[in-house]
Amino acid sequence: MPGAEAEESRRVAIMSKLNETDIQGFVLRGYNLTYARYFYLHFEDAARARKLIARLLPEITTGQRWDGGKPRSTVNIAFTHRGLAAFELPIATLISFPVEFQQGMKKRAAILGDTGLNAPEHWDELWREGRVHAWLGIQGLTSSALDTASTEMLALIEETRGAVVLDSQDAASQVISGKATTKEHFGYTDGFGNPDYLGVERSTQPGQGKLMPDGSWAPLATGELLLGYADEAGELPVAPIPHILASNGTFMAYRKLHQNLASFRAYLEEHGRQYGGGKEKLAAKFIGRWRDGTPLELSPDAENQAIVQDPQRSTNFTYGADGDGTRCPVGAHIRRVHPRDTFGFNGKLIDRRRVTRRGLPYGKFADENEPVSDSDDRGIIFMALNANLSRQFEFVQQQWIEYGNDARLGNDKDMLLGNHGGHGKFVVQGDGSQTNPPYVCTALPNFVELRGGDYFFIPSITALGMLAMGLVDPR
Amino acid sequence: MPNNNGCVYGLTILSPILNDEKATPSHDLQIRNYLATLPTGETSPFAHAPGTHLCRLVVMDDVIYVGMPACEEHLKSKYLIFESNLDAAGGAGLESYLRGLAQAIPQHLDAVWSHCVGYPGAANAEAFVRYMKACQIETTFFFAAVNDKTVTETLRALQTQKAVADFIARHQGMEHAKLKAEFLEFATRLNAEPLPRPGTMGSRTGESDAWGRGRGIKTGGHNE
Repeated sequence: MPGAEAEESRRVAIMSKLNETDIQGFVLRGYNLTYARYFYLHFEDAARARKLIARLLPEITTGQRWDGGKPRSTVNIAFTHRGLAAFELPIATLISFPVEFQQGMKKRAAILGDTGLNAPEHWDELWREGRVHAWLGIQGLTSSALDTASTEMLALIEETRGAVVLDSQDAASQVISGKATTKEHFGYTDGFGNPDYLGVERSTQPGQGKLMPDGSWAPLATGELLLGYADEAGELPVAPIPHILASNGTFMAYRKLHQNLASFRAYLEEHGRQYGGGKEKLAAKFIGRWRDGTPLELSPDAENQAIVQDPQRSTNFTYGADGDGTRCPVGAHIRRVHPRDTFGFNGKLIDRRRVTRRGLPYGKFADENEPVSDSDDRGIIFMALNANLSRQFEFVQQQWIEYGNDARLGNDKDMLLGNHGGHGKFVVQGDGSQTNPPYVCTALPNFVELRGGDYFFIPSITALGMLAMGLVDPR
Repeated sequence: MPNNNGCVYGLTILSPILNDEKATPSHDLQIRNYLATLPTGETSPFAHAPGTHLCRLVVMDDVIYVGMPACEEHLKSKYLIFESNLDAAGGAGLESYLRGLAQAIPQHLDAVWSHCVGYPGAANAEAFVRYMKACQIETTFFFAAVNDKTVTETLRALQTQKAVADFIARHQGMEHAKLKAEFLEFATRLNAEPLPRPGTMGSRTGESDAWGRGRGIKTGGHNE
């Protein structure tokens, strides 16, 4: 019976609808709000911190649908392990968190390949010091809505003296003639295809969940995103005790990725001249999509907005018929981080390596003709949400970004995200034709550099209440 | 033939470790101490043993009792486990591999296996082969990440891959006649290159452990 498994998944999805009022909205939805400000908080006193959370609680945006229209701003909060310790949670609870979260991202540098130019010694002072206890994420429809919400939150912090604001980071979508885009600084259209999960109601499209044997796409198990639910192996993700503290929460890897735009442009310009397919096609080969978002796999020779705008097509493709990568290179970014069926077994090998991405660019956007420098402050705030940092985010970062063996690419790293340090290579597979010849990019600089970040826990609304009331009890 | 996967043989040997109450430290600890000093990678003794893709040595103390409702059981002895993926088609291939070991690294074999019951020493190759085969158990299932190629073929392939990739990167876009001439010259040079030593073709990016030995990619811990 064709589609039977997918049908079953849909049935289960209806049965296990999540309690969206208990889950932070940031976990379930990309808000598509243009402006963001992230505050980094430090708690000095547990009692005052609890008071702050109690006051913040009614302001936190949940995952409830916006049937009554989009709010003008949103507020969400997440904690580092040190931050949770500052609430004086019971030690039995604190040590029950997964090891990688207890350690924090800085101590995982060797595992993540955050060495050399990306090593913690080169991070912003904020992230080197390790004093960040919480991330308070505010988003606004307009910059004045963002300012208003920010002012309100800062007033709460001041009034309760619940936290010290160490720093803040602004980020925003690029606005072109009054319309927010999903472009990032290198000029690529970003933000396609976050995974679907069982029980999460959102507008869904083929290519965003897991590949089924009949070629259809079905939602991933809820436990790949949220603690307290079965994951793709039918197991509960590693989670702290008590269960109710963990349930409906998730973990976030927060990374501030600086973009060396001048290096990128110069490299693309130089090699675009030598590459037979031309500059724009070479840019597309790096990522696996043309800069307007058209997937190479569906349209290898030209951009095609009809595909980009069609939810039935924009993420709906596989690589099985392109084993040698002549359409989309085997090492292209989107093929590395979401290999779909590349490794065979109907894509089963990748279902436990998916992450949900949130994020916005920061810094000034520069037109193609505007002079730029690598030292300009611009980049992207990358936030990956997953139930298990070690199995999902860290695996993808270590094996698929900073290494190439699974893709049979030896030690090659991701072209744009890799920590190349001037070495390494990126192979564009070709078919020998004039406009699609093979090409090898070498002497790769770091197009992207890590400037800091950490691992955060995004608790449920219930768990936030427990924090606020000092009611976390592991027994 | 579950021990075989194409031309690669998965060898598993379990040698009982001497149980001598008077030995200080005990024989299993003496093995552990010696193994801890052995380098990995190209300076590993097993890089000098012909036909070894990879191998590992483990001291197994006992089965671990996990509590009720499991029943408590114990092994009759502590065991040294030796696992090796090696070039050998069939039983005769195994014997020649073991003889090669005895010839290449007898001092290391003796330093480790002299703590095991009934070990005859590597000096007598025939007795050594008989002993190892007596300790062998069927492997049944093993991970062979070497594409059915011998160690020599694998090293040559990696060398060729790297050299050709470098050549392409340096020569792409070159005028055809010149490219052809350069390639012929390159191919002649490559064919004359000696085989790289085992353990030299891997990534060099691994960090060193407390003893200054490279351990390659770090693992993330218990969640994988």
